[in-house]
Amino acid sequence: MNSKNIILLVDDDELDVISVERSLKKLDQDYELFTAYNGIEALEILKSQLEEGKGHLPDVILLDLNMPKMNGIEFLKVLRGDDKLKHLKVFVMTTSGEEADRKATEQLGVSGYLIKPLNFNNNTKRSDSMDGFVQFHLRKILASKGL
Amino acid sequence: MRLAAQIFLGFSVVIGISITDSYVNYNLSEKVNKNTEYVARSETIIRNSSRLHRSIIEMQSAFRGYLLTSDTTFLGAYFEGSEIMPQLFNEQRVLLRNSPSQLKRLDKIAALHQSWIGYSDQLINAKRGVATNPSVYQDLFENKLRKQVGKKINDQISLIFKDLDKSEYRVRAVRRDALNQSVERTRRFSLIFLLLTVVIGIVSTLYIVRLITKRIASMVNLADNISKGEFAIVKDDKNDELTSLSISLNSMSETLNKNIKELEKRNKELNQFAYVVSHDLKAPIRGIYNVTQWIEEDLGGEVSPQMRKYLNIIPDRIKRMEDLIHGLLDYARISREKPLKERVDVDKLVRDIAELIVPENFEVQTMNLPVLSTEKIRLEQVFSNLMSNAVKYSKPEQNGKISISCIELDDFYQFSIADNGIGIEPQFHSKIFEIFQTLREKHAKESTGIGLAIVKKIIDDQHCTINVHSELGEGSVFTFTWPKF
Repeated sequence: MNSKNIILLVDDDELDVISVERSLKKLDQDYELFTAYNGIEALEILKSQLEEGKGHLPDVILLDLNMPKMNGIEFLKVLRGDDKLKHLKVFVMTTSGEEADRKATEQLGVSGYLIKPLNFNNNTKRSDSMDGFVQFHLRKILASKGL
Repeated sequence: MRLAAQIFLGFSVVIGISITDSYVNYNLSEKVNKNTEYVARSETIIRNSSRLHRSIIEMQSAFRGYLLTSDTTFLGAYFEGSEIMPQLFNEQRVLLRNSPSQLKRLDKIAALHQSWIGYSDQLINAKRGVATNPSVYQDLFENKLRKQVGKKINDQISLIFKDLDKSEYRVRAVRRDALNQSVERTRRFSLIFLLLTVVIGIVSTLYIVRLITKRIASMVNLADNISKGEFAIVKDDKNDELTSLSISLNSMSETLNKNIKELEKRNKELNQFAYVVSHDLKAPIRGIYNVTQWIEEDLGGEVSPQMRKYLNIIPDRIKRMEDLIHGLLDYARISREKPLKERVDVDKLVRDIAELIVPENFEVQTMNLPVLSTEKIRLEQVFSNLMSNAVKYSKPEQNGKISISCIELDDFYQFSIADNGIGIEPQFHSKIFEIFQTLREKHAKESTGIGLAIVKKIIDDQHCTINVHSELGEGSVFTFTWPKF
């Protein structure tokens, strides 16, 4: 029985990676976190997981859009084109509020589109800081998985 | 045709007519002179003719007198006559040189007279010698005088004179008619030419005046269009002096159009740039903020008071940076987005803003604020920036007061926002509307130097004006206009 939540975080911003790591620690969840800094690295991780034959694919992929080498949308296209990977649950987590990006990812079947907070006007509200945002949504995402 | 050529042509026609007039008049007056001369000559011929005739008759009377009375004093007039006659004939001959028929008559008269002289001389000489040779005189008297030889000659002379005079009277009448006619013709031609000159002069002047007025009006029209921002190229096929003006105006219009398009493009790029830059600037700040939070979280109570003071500066500065970025975004957004017009109750708008940003110890007064249809967001931005300035720059030692009033002008509303704050020195009045200009020191809170620049830009976009009346320590009055529609 495998009760560990496996999360793949694809984000080129180290701060976001740290924020997710800290949030997961705070949520006190049993998890395993893989991190990739771009789409190519993420695909390599997924492929190596498949090769091991253990079926340890991530339960959730948190995907940034603006990344070097292979961006989030390109990654999604590859993912949805692979029979073994196309069922994976993906949440987009980006600073881009562009309507075009939102539409493109919706068509590629993402489970959620989260815009990272950029404003500090209401510092007091935890969900408006990055940490608060990540904790809030991670809790929801993990809960929705029924774990 | 060029305007100068048309003006020249007009004047040339008038001058040409004047010259023709002078020439025709000269010719006509020559004719008048000639006819006058002819008439005068006819008069002289008639006068001379009667003088000649009279002299002949006088000679005949003297001849008869002598023969009847034997008084030799009669012979004085006779000899005087015969002496003067050749000269009179010669004069008359000169006068009649162009008229062969009259000359013929004159020659006939001269010949007859000559034959009469021969006859009379014979008789006079015979009468003188009657004492010595009476038979000669007797013979002549009986054969010639009694047979009226002399009388017959003289009757003939009289007849010819009558013909000559009659003919000359006719000539004189014809010439007098010609004279009258040529005088009349001269008058008529002068009048016609005068009228022609006046009419053509006036018509050509009116034509040229109208032409120039029309051309200038079209130039003015083009210039007006340019000033209104319509850079239409006007076609001009007249090819005159004003064409070069219209070419210049057209090229100016083209250049302006190009420059304005270029300027619009640059402005758009700049706004896009500001938008992108301010958006991208947020990410690193967010990172700094996060890291600060983590340090505080992880170190907790281990932080020294000094370190905590330093750590607290960071969010302050981040807030300021964020305000700047937001200001820039707002500033860039003014031109990027065009809000829809809606019905705005300015009094309610001002009250709503006051509730959000004006502290309770401030008194807000409104007077005569209108209800109008306008871009609500823009007017709201103007009021909230000006009112927040009134709050920021208030005197800490007294209760703040903000009065907002309005005057209705022809095409605009003129709003005034007066406060009892710290005021602004007059030397800075023009500076405060420039972007990033703040009269506060850099560490002071909430002063980015963008607020009034946003206000100015919004008001500029509405083609309105804003200005400030203030003295240091005396409060400030910001006055701006806003379109009614």
